[in-house]
Amino acid sequence: MSEERGGRGGGRGRDKKDDKGKGEGRRTFSRRRRVCKFCAEKIDYINYKDVRQLAGFIPERGKLQPRRISGACATHQRKLQTAIARARQLALIPYVTD
Amino acid sequence: MNIERQYELVYIAGPDSSEAEIADLHTQVEQIAARFNGRIEKTENWGKRKLAYEIGRHREGVYVLEHLYGTGEMTKELDRRLKVSDVVIRHLIVRIDEDLEVATRATTRRKEESVRRRVARGLPPEPDPSERRGGDDDMDGDGGMEDMR
Repeated sequence: MSEERGGRGGGRGRDKKDDKGKGEGRRTFSRRRRVCKFCAEKIDYINYKDVRQLAGFIPERGKLQPRRISGACATHQRKLQTAIARARQLALIPYVTD
Repeated sequence: MNIERQYELVYIAGPDSSEAEIADLHTQVEQIAARFNGRIEKTENWGKRKLAYEIGRHREGVYVLEHLYGTGEMTKELDRRLKVSDVVIRHLIVRIDEDLEVATRATTRRKEESVRRRVARGLPPEPDPSERRGGDDDMDGDGGMEDMR
């Protein structure tokens, strides 16, 4: 599916080059809309004791993920931060891993 | 200044502390709470867990969680006592009533919105269990709180 789309995209790119000046304006490109995981799953309270829930947002190194990676909305990213901070203090998740 | 609030207290006792020591800690917390007209609503003992990093020289700890009601003064005293304690290697007191309230509000708001939209579309206000993942969500937003903790 994605391959097919990629192929078509390439084709369109060529088209665009060909009839340049004909006014075939901007190419339509579909970006997958990202939805905050917590919004999608309707989680209102991010629990700092639930290690399994937090684990999905802790990368290898143990650092906080920026929003562009974690995909969380502002509200939930903020809540996630506090939850992670609390869990770290309780040694449920590490501050750093190396 | 003496408003009763809801708190969560988690403390980690050293891995080699005995049952008696942990029971003793619990009664101490209870006594402090009682002194400030607070109370313990619920206690959960998570048992021995591995720590994510070493605290002092320990690699494991016994986790105990207490749901408390009481005043800020109470938490201050608890904090002081737990800091001094030799058995407790780490503790955390978190006020949760505000967070829970925010969460409940968000849940009810979402549910109302969903009901409103469903009615506007001419559907019954409550979705079938087959339509929804959770299925057993109830309207008052009260039953859902258990899951969120």
